[in-house]
Amino acid sequence: MESSETHDVAEAQTVSEPEGARPEQHSCGGRAPILTTHALTKQFGNLRAVDGLEIEVCKGDVFGFLGPNGAGKTTVIRLVLGLIHPTSGYAEVCGHRVPGELQGALRHVGGFVDDPTFYPLMSARRNLRLLGSMTGPVSEERIDEVLEIVALDAGADDRVGGFSHGMKQRLGIAQALLHSPELIVLDEPTSGLDPRGMKDVRELIRELGAAGTTVFLSSHLLHEVEQVCTRAVIINKGRVVVQGPVSELRPQNDAIKVLTGDQGRAGEVLRGQFGAAGVKEDEGFLVVEAGEDAVPEMVRRLVAGNVDVRAVVPAGEQGLEDFFLELTYDAGDSEPKKRRAGLARLLHGGRR
Amino acid sequence: MSTTHGHAHGSTSGGMRGHKWGALRREWIKLLFQRRSYLIWGGAFVIPFLIALAFYLTRHNPENGGGGPPFVERITSNGMFVTLAALFFLIGFLLPLAAAMVAGYMIAGEAELGTLRILLLRPVRRGSFILAKWTIAMAYLGVGFLLMLASGLLFGGIFFGLHPIVTFSGTTVSVPHGLVLIVLSMLYGLAAMACIVSMSLLFSTLTDSSLTALIGTIVIYIVLTVLIQFSWFDWLKPWVFPTYLQEFTSFFRDPIYWRPIVKGLGVFALWSGVLTFAAYLAFRRKDVLS
Repeated sequence: MESSETHDVAEAQTVSEPEGARPEQHSCGGRAPILTTHALTKQFGNLRAVDGLEIEVCKGDVFGFLGPNGAGKTTVIRLVLGLIHPTSGYAEVCGHRVPGELQGALRHVGGFVDDPTFYPLMSARRNLRLLGSMTGPVSEERIDEVLEIVALDAGADDRVGGFSHGMKQRLGIAQALLHSPELIVLDEPTSGLDPRGMKDVRELIRELGAAGTTVFLSSHLLHEVEQVCTRAVIINKGRVVVQGPVSELRPQNDAIKVLTGDQGRAGEVLRGQFGAAGVKEDEGFLVVEAGEDAVPEMVRRLVAGNVDVRAVVPAGEQGLEDFFLELTYDAGDSEPKKRRAGLARLLHGGRR
Repeated sequence: MSTTHGHAHGSTSGGMRGHKWGALRREWIKLLFQRRSYLIWGGAFVIPFLIALAFYLTRHNPENGGGGPPFVERITSNGMFVTLAALFFLIGFLLPLAAAMVAGYMIAGEAELGTLRILLLRPVRRGSFILAKWTIAMAYLGVGFLLMLASGLLFGGIFFGLHPIVTFSGTTVSVPHGLVLIVLSMLYGLAAMACIVSMSLLFSTLTDSSLTALIGTIVIYIVLTVLIQFSWFDWLKPWVFPTYLQEFTSFFRDPIYWRPIVKGLGVFALWSGVLTFAAYLAFRRKDVLS
């Protein structure tokens, strides 16, 4: 695949400039921004973990926060929630500047960073009571309510030390919900959950979004973000790569992926039809720059050329996952791409 | 899972009323939910009993009590001295160790457990947070001292009876007056431990390991204690808190010899104040990465 600059990502704002570059100001389209970062930078020794980050989360968004391991996601969350101090820049959370007005901001925020952890000898209920009281009065009814929301009502009086990882994740969500915050920040909330648990958490996030709560969801599960989020940002090496509505994060160019019994011969046929520049190879597929209208004639030519056509797929169906890999692809590391291409050939039985 | 939104949280949970004391109450509850809390308290209660028992079993041995201050030698004739003997024996090492353990766990222990990051996502000021931690560490030690006092009087009374105290000046004070002097001695010992608590709290903010905080504190305490044993470091003696640890014995002069007591309390306040402020400064800028 080509670099991100070759893609026309409608409305989603791609930032591929080197350091020092700042993306355009984003618009929430009439909605108020609830979380913004302004040239947010964090340096750990020689490592610049977050580099002039500019993101904007609008009120009501279910906002996906994506990036490969080591991209700086958790560092950004820690910065935004005041757990660590920025080297430069700042965040604005619910109208409060962080770190300057951290307490004001945290009154409107619930969430967790990394795995949520609790006092193991206390019950789930007592943990919630203890944590909840730090923000303000919290009723026993509300504690019962959030425990029910995350399906922990049956284990409410059990010691957290005996909880599974998934139960602790759900308790983490429960404590985030206690004060009905305007903004909920969840750092990989489905990590370690079984498929049922994942589905439940995603449903919960969707419901929170539908109820008007803004959710900032950090995840490395791209399909999760595709399923749940309305807008997303992809970061890499502490910088924004692209952000915008999830539906528009995928490349929108006209292209078709072709898989045949003889990709070499098919390539010759297709280059005859579309020209050498119009046909590329990618992970065992031939990618043809053409619209759907060109498909019937293309298939006719391939069949006429004695090529077995196995699959013709619109490249527009390319998922966020491919796009993500493309955007965060490190040119210096070609091995993963080669491995993926090899795997694709194996799976599709393609030849080169 | 399903959710509803926009809830009011009118009625408060019974145990969490009142913002003013809320932070202290939370920290206290957390201490009560740690097994080690009861171990240390148990030790504070058992040690005076063991001292009383040891003296009782060897009461006919003429060597008994040698090497300590006069009140240690007088235990077998007056149970009032059991608590003081416990304080005398413990204030040099075991009480500082307990203080360093409790305070060392306060921040670093939360970091180890992973709860520090979830606590600091709540709108609490780091200054209030650390002040609550310091206060609860001192309250915890206060309960330990109280248990030591109660145990000393209980078992001292059982084994030897409680009698009027003969002071170092040779005068005799009544049992109630003697009790007041013992309580003052315990409070003095507790004030001395404030230095250890503050030092350990400082280390606790600088590391994510409560064991490191404990060891760091004890090493510095031992170094200070060793240094003041050498005459070359006499110039240092008036300024370091270990010099004054056993000045509580000055309560048992008639009249009370206030000068070393007040000086000791001043040095304790200075050390504790500076170290707690340093802990606050360190914690205020601490990046919570645990």
